[in-house]
Amino acid sequence: MRGLGYLIKEGVRSVWNNRMMSAASIGVLVSCLLITGAAMLLSMNVTSVVEEIGKDNQITVFLKEDIDDLEAIQKIGPELRKVDNVAEVEFYSKEQAINEYRSELGTLFSELQGVENPLPNAFHLTMVDLSQYETTVKDIRAVEGVDIISDRSDVAKRLTDLNRLVTQVGLWLVAALGIISLFIISNSVRMTMYSRRFEISIMKSVGATNHFVRIPFVIEGVVLGLISGIISSIVIAFLYEAMVSAVKYIVPVTEIPYSELAPRMTVGFIGFGMIIGAIGALISIGRYLNMEGGEILGW
Amino acid sequence: MIRFNNVSKVYPNGTRALNKVNIDIQKGEFVFIVGASGAGKSTFLKLIMKEEEPTSGSIIVNDTNITEMKRRKVPYLRRTMGIVFQDFRLIDKMTVFDNVAFAMRVIGARPKAVKKRVHYILGLVGLKDKAQSRPAELSGGEQQRVSLARALVNNPSLIIADEPTGNIDPEMSFEIIELLNEINKQGTTIIVVTHEHELVHKFKNRVIEIQGGEIMSDTGAPTEKADVKIEIAEEELAEIPEEIAEEIPDVSSEELNREALAAIEDEEAAEE
Repeated sequence: MRGLGYLIKEGVRSVWNNRMMSAASIGVLVSCLLITGAAMLLSMNVTSVVEEIGKDNQITVFLKEDIDDLEAIQKIGPELRKVDNVAEVEFYSKEQAINEYRSELGTLFSELQGVENPLPNAFHLTMVDLSQYETTVKDIRAVEGVDIISDRSDVAKRLTDLNRLVTQVGLWLVAALGIISLFIISNSVRMTMYSRRFEISIMKSVGATNHFVRIPFVIEGVVLGLISGIISSIVIAFLYEAMVSAVKYIVPVTEIPYSELAPRMTVGFIGFGMIIGAIGALISIGRYLNMEGGEILGW
Repeated sequence: MIRFNNVSKVYPNGTRALNKVNIDIQKGEFVFIVGASGAGKSTFLKLIMKEEEPTSGSIIVNDTNITEMKRRKVPYLRRTMGIVFQDFRLIDKMTVFDNVAFAMRVIGARPKAVKKRVHYILGLVGLKDKAQSRPAELSGGEQQRVSLARALVNNPSLIIADEPTGNIDPEMSFEIIELLNEINKQGTTIIVVTHEHELVHKFKNRVIEIQGGEIMSDTGAPTEKADVKIEIAEEELAEIPEEIAEEIPDVSSEELNREALAAIEDEEAAEE
C-alpha cells in the first residue's frame, strides 16, 4: 500500500506524543499480562506435576489365586496391554512380592515362616490418562483371570480435579483480563483520536480512505501492545524465579525451568498484546469513521 | 460540473434546509452562494461533498450521480475537490509546509511529489517564505491562504470555500477572493459561500441567493467576464518565458490523477 511508511511513522509518533496516556495504558496492560502470565505459569506447573504423579501412579492388578502356571499368566499380559489407556504392563510375581515383604518386615516376617506364600501373582500397569481411571479399571476387570485391582481412584480424581480447576480459573482469568486490556487500549486510542479529531476531519475532507485514517491508530494500539508484551516478558522472568523460591520454601516441588517456558511466554505476551492493541484500536475508530465533517469535531 | 435536480433536504429534527432546489454550475465557473444564516448554504455544500444525503432529488458532480455513489467511493470524489473553511482548520503543531503536505500524504502521494508540489503551491499563494512557520505565527489572512494552498495542492477541479472571509479583516478578504479569482482563471471551478454582500458586489461573478432553503435569485454566468477570462489566460500563457515554464513542477493533474487511480486499484485489491 502506498504511503504505508508515513502511516507507520504517524502511529509510532502518536505513542510518543501522548506519552502520559501511553505510559498509563502500558502500565495497566503490563499488569494484566503479568496476572494472566502468572495464572498460565501456575497452570502449566500444576499440569506438569499432575503428569509426573500420573506417570508414577501405577495400579496393581492382582490375578485370581488359581492362576499359577506361567502359560496362563503369559496369556493375560497381552490381554491387559490391549486395554485402552494402558501404557505399560509389567509382571510382578508372587515370589517378588514375598521377597519384598521379607525385606520390609525383617524379623517379623521370620515368625510367619513356614506358612505357604499367600500372595497372588500380579501385574503393575501404568495409565496414559489418569482422568479415564474408572473406565480403564472397568475394562481391566473384564479381562479373564483378573481378581482385584488396587483402588487409587481417589488420588486420580483429586489430581484431575485440581488440574481442571487450575485450567478453568486460568481461562476465565485470561478472558476477564483480556476484556480489561481491550478496554484500556481502546480508551487510550480514543483519547488520541479525540486529540486528533481535527486531523481526522481534514483527512476525510481531502479524500483519505478509511484504511488511511484507520491505520495510524491501529499501529498505535499495536505498538502499545508490543511494548507491554516486551516489558511483561522481562518482568515475568524475575517474578517466576521469586514465585518458585517462595513456593519451594513451603512445599518442595520440582518446577518447570523458566528457560523452557521463556520462548512460549515471550511469543504469547507479545502476540496477545499486539492483537489486543489492534482490536482495541479498531473498536474505538469505528465510531469516527462513520462520522462526517463537523460531527467529528463535535459541532 | 454540478447539477442539483429537485433536491430537498430535511434533517431528522424536522428542519427543512433545502426545498426542491435546481442548480446547474458549469465547469470553470466562479459562483457566490449568498444568504443569511440558516438559509441552507452549508447544507448545499455538504451535499456536494457527500457529507449529507438529500432526502429527495439527485445530485450530479463531474457527470456522476453522487446520490447513488457507494460509501467507499466517496474519498475519491473528495479528491476532485478542495475545501476551504471559515476557521481555516490548520493543525497547530504542524508547520505551514506540513499542513499543506498533509493533504497529499493522506491520499498516499510520493514524498518527492509532495515536496515539489507543496513548494510550488506555497509560492502560488505567496507564502514561500513562511513554509517553516507555525499557523499561530501567521495573520488571519495568511492562515486562510495556507488553508487555500491545502485545498489546491491535490489539483482539484473544484474549490469549495465555506465563508472563507468570515474570520479575516476586509482588506484580506478582498485578497483571498482575488486569489480565488486567479485560480479560477486557470480553469478551476470555484464555489464561495458567504454572507458578505459587499464583497460579492466587488467581483463580477455569478451570484446565487438562497433563502429559506429555496433559490431566491440567480444572476447566471456573466458572459463578458468569460471572454475576458479566456483572453487573460491566453495572454498569460504567451507571457511565460520558456525557461520559467520549465521550472514549474511537473506534478501535473494527470500525474496526480494517475496516483489517485493507483491508490484506487491498491484499495480495491486490498478489499478483494
